[in-house]
Amino acid sequence: MKKSGNLMSSKIKISSKDVSVFYSQNKALNNITFDIDEKKVTSLIGPSGCGKSTFLRCLNRMNDTIDICKVKGKVLIDNEDIYAPNVDPVLLRARVGMVFQKPNPFPKSIFDNVAYGPSIHGLASSKDELENIVLTSLQRAGLYKEVKNRLSETGTSLSGGQQQRLCIARAIAVSPEIILMDEPCSALDPIATAIVEELIDELVKNYTIVIVTHSMQQAARVSQNTAFFHMGNLIEFGSTQKIFSTPQFKQTQDYITGKIG
Amino acid sequence: MNKNTQIIKSSLLKRKRSEKYFKYFGLTGIIAALLFLTIIITSIFTTGKKAFKQTAIKLEIFFDPKIIDPENKGTEETYKSANYKIVIKNALLNYFPSVNKRIDIRDLTNFISSSEEERLLEMILKDNTLIGTTKELWLTASSTIDVIHKNLEMLNITEKDRLIDNKEKKWFTKLLDDEKLKFQFNKTFFTSADSTEPEQAGIWGSAMGSFFTVLVTLILSFPIAVAAGVFLEELAPKNKFTDFLEVNINNLAAVPSIIFGLLGLAIFLNVMHLPRSAPIVGGLVLALMTLPTIIIATRASLKAVPPSIREAAIGLGATKLQTVTHHVLPLSFPGILTGTIIGMSQALGETAPLLMIGMVAFIVDVPGSFLDASTALPVQIYLWKSTAARGFVELAAAGVLILLTFLILMNSFAVYIRKKYEKKW
Repeated sequence: MKKSGNLMSSKIKISSKDVSVFYSQNKALNNITFDIDEKKVTSLIGPSGCGKSTFLRCLNRMNDTIDICKVKGKVLIDNEDIYAPNVDPVLLRARVGMVFQKPNPFPKSIFDNVAYGPSIHGLASSKDELENIVLTSLQRAGLYKEVKNRLSETGTSLSGGQQQRLCIARAIAVSPEIILMDEPCSALDPIATAIVEELIDELVKNYTIVIVTHSMQQAARVSQNTAFFHMGNLIEFGSTQKIFSTPQFKQTQDYITGKIG
Repeated sequence: MNKNTQIIKSSLLKRKRSEKYFKYFGLTGIIAALLFLTIIITSIFTTGKKAFKQTAIKLEIFFDPKIIDPENKGTEETYKSANYKIVIKNALLNYFPSVNKRIDIRDLTNFISSSEEERLLEMILKDNTLIGTTKELWLTASSTIDVIHKNLEMLNITEKDRLIDNKEKKWFTKLLDDEKLKFQFNKTFFTSADSTEPEQAGIWGSAMGSFFTVLVTLILSFPIAVAAGVFLEELAPKNKFTDFLEVNINNLAAVPSIIFGLLGLAIFLNVMHLPRSAPIVGGLVLALMTLPTIIIATRASLKAVPPSIREAAIGLGATKLQTVTHHVLPLSFPGILTGTIIGMSQALGETAPLLMIGMVAFIVDVPGSFLDASTALPVQIYLWKSTAARGFVELAAAGVLILLTFLILMNSFAVYIRKKYEKKW
């Protein structure tokens, strides 16, 4: 079903309205407005420093942890503004999971890594239930077969690609609605990258995925929609097929053909 | 060879030379430091080791029933009220039959440490069948005899500069020639507290005082400092006020310790009326002094935890406090612990503030609790060093050795903890 470019109208999951981000006085993002469809992969591409990661971190209010960062505008998830004063960012982050650029498992056992989210949120009422969540999450992340005999070993003892899939398992253990991925394959070799990309294809059946990537090929392979950012502006947004075959703007064309970036 | 290579080659010689000079410079520094350290340790050790042995005199002690239990009552009270000095005197006179003048007898009796009277009593209390028997015993000599025995060359100096006069010298030489003198291990040093007599003075009292003091310091400063460090680093907003706090905490770490002593005197003793000379007050004062050290160590080790771990936890929906207690704090714990142990060894070696709150008194009893009057190891060393009497110099040096041993043990423990628990990621 990927890259089918079908015109089947899908439900909008996230809606960004005039989002601007400031670091102290510097404007990092400038009035970003676009919609992200439910249960699709949307990739954010653009040269380094264009603001794509900053935008991604707006979607689960990760930017709140940076004191000098100020976000203006609205981000609607299921038509509710996540920057509204009555929204608890802790609850939001349980709904919007995140996978980071560098695999960052906790220096704990593989089991504890995955079990951490469900146990802090009290999602499992018994030990068996928790174990069940952990095992399904590992299965969904395609890691179960490789680690089933060493669940008590530390997460950091795994290879880079396995660590990243562990981080994905950790994120989906909380059963989020949306998964944000910030260049999840930039630290991985091509084989591990291929495995993670297959996983994304699988996950998109159940989750809305937003992925930041530096690799145009990856964006083309995994995403249905693509947004091209440049210098803090959203230049172009549309179906991945359209962006890569018939870009509307010269900047987009230059970037995807490798002239800038 | 092209031109650039030529230029680089000629400058390379100069660069290599300065590198070599720098290396020699550093090496000289380290050698000098090691040299001084060796000199200090050797000089302390050569003096201090004399305190670990003491002179004993072999005498035939007759447990005379006429002195110990004249009315043959056989009760403990009688034994306790007996005058064992006479038992020792008789043993000495038995060995030196020519001594008969009262003043000479007194001088002769002074050969034996007064602590031995107590020992004879304890022997009797343990086994009263000894009464009426004669036993060969090694009795601890007085400090004067001990000093002479340890420095035999003193016998050759003129009488007026010598510690003992000619007749005492004669007795001493006789004992020496008859092989009635020997060195024995100075157990007293490790088991008793201060005393006016060097041969009866020990380090144990002040070691216990130090132990109680440092324990109070640890119990108070560790939780408070870690909580403060975590709050400032992780939870407090970054604004002018917290900046101001940070500057002040850093300054506090550099405040001379005697100021903390004055503070303790003014508040803990004069306002709160806590007992003077007590380890609890010493501990309070040293806790104030150690707080900034541990806070700074805590903040530094929290800072060293990679942000990716924080992001992972926050991204999963952990609260700030959960992020800190579940992930950041466990990872920074080795660093915090190292800082704490170093703070504790600082506290252990601290003297000045303890002088202010009266832990400098002459205390003969080994303290049993936080409220008993006591001294601390460094203060005890200071006290012995400032005592003019012969024999205390060695004790002071031995005290330094004990203190250094504790410090080295604590610091190696800190290194061990850091090596064992530091995680790689």
